[in-house]
Amino acid sequence: MNPKVSIVVVVDVIGALSDGTLRNGNLCMIDDGEQSTGQGTPELCTVVQPGQVVTWSALAVDLQTPVEIKSITFLDPDAEAGDAEAGDAEAGDAEAGDAAHAPERTEGAAGTGNAGARSERNGPGPERNGHAPGRHNPELEVWSGVVPHLAPGVAHQYRLEVQMYEGEHSTLHIASPALMCQ
Amino acid sequence: MPQQLAVIVLVDVGNALESRTLEGNTYLFDNMKLQGSENQGTGELVTAINGSYWSDGSQASEQVLNWLPYSLGSIPPTVPRGYEAERARQTDEQALTELDHLAATSGTTGVDAASELSRIRQSAGRRVKTTRRTRGRLSGQKVLDVTGNVVSDGGTQAHSYPAPVITDICGQAVDEKVIYPAEYGSPDLVTDGWYWSATVDTSRPGTYAYTMRIQLHQLVEQGGESLWEPVNLTCESKIRVTTEPKRNAFTQAGLGLLPVPPRAFS
Repeated sequence: MNPKVSIVVVVDVIGALSDGTLRNGNLCMIDDGEQSTGQGTPELCTVVQPGQVVTWSALAVDLQTPVEIKSITFLDPDAEAGDAEAGDAEAGDAEAGDAAHAPERTEGAAGTGNAGARSERNGPGPERNGHAPGRHNPELEVWSGVVPHLAPGVAHQYRLEVQMYEGEHSTLHIASPALMCQ
Repeated sequence: MPQQLAVIVLVDVGNALESRTLEGNTYLFDNMKLQGSENQGTGELVTAINGSYWSDGSQASEQVLNWLPYSLGSIPPTVPRGYEAERARQTDEQALTELDHLAATSGTTGVDAASELSRIRQSAGRRVKTTRRTRGRLSGQKVLDVTGNVVSDGGTQAHSYPAPVITDICGQAVDEKVIYPAEYGSPDLVTDGWYWSATVDTSRPGTYAYTMRIQLHQLVEQGGESLWEPVNLTCESKIRVTTEPKRNAFTQAGLGLLPVPPRAFS
């Protein structure tokens, strides 16, 4: 077993911001797992084992464009209807029936999981090291964690939110990738 | 975010040549306003460079600075590269047509051949002499104004200037080995195929000054010929380097278990 699995999120920032979606080929995901499926698509299902360290990183197709991962939230299937995916259905997307596949602009701290903690960190705070007060710098965050014991054969979907520069239209998300233990 | 940092150096070339200084004639911009750069659009720009480090103290991200000099009051650098040569050729052709017309009508009354010739000479303009010191995109071409029309007397009429050229980047930030600048070849012809770039050592936070040596070109008349004479000036700017530790995004501290909601094992 490889102790590490890397997942790379490749984003065409200009395409995504122009289309207002991470679909249409504006985002693809690749990992170095051995049995993963959906390589090169937003439906990447990474096959992992408990104890492995998974690390996510974002890359821009055009190196001059900024992109960072803003949040990764594992979805709770029981709470899915009340999660941000309800917002996806409201978007009137052609894929609205397939809520988990519909990308959507993220409204503030919508969603569950670590989004609450995140908005707290985004709030005003003392000036740190010369930065503007409370400025959240996603570049400092390392999206990495150890795989816990998961129900085998179940795709644990997660909501991946990316930020492209700053401003109200700078974040988009997908909810189609997953981790799965065998 | 790890985008390349660009500093635009916009020079009011006409006024800088007249006053022989870049002070008050240079406007600096960068793409780091939201990341903390200050005094955008003035000569006092302080460029924010936000670095990061790992828990062992090593540098975690690479910050790259690029400088792009532009001229205020010039033909935009984005017009096709052959624009000046094309305009010179077009005006030559126009002069030939007018000469043809003059030749056909010179015998008729009411045509003052001498003044017509003078007018055609004016509208055809004159090519700038190329010397070893003044070789460049605009040497050998005609002097144009910002709308692309030929200027026949560059000494008195408003005309477009060649873009400023950065010839060196030096000063405190370089001496103290905070930035490592160098000039690179570029496939981007907007910058004439060359640009200045630097990597930054973000391990030593602080504000550091640096100096750009900038070459402008002045149109001078010498022995009845026009040529672009280089004028070397300097311009100072600052960078403010900060650095912060990387942290795990899930735990806000060290590595931990992924927060996956529990699900019943079947």
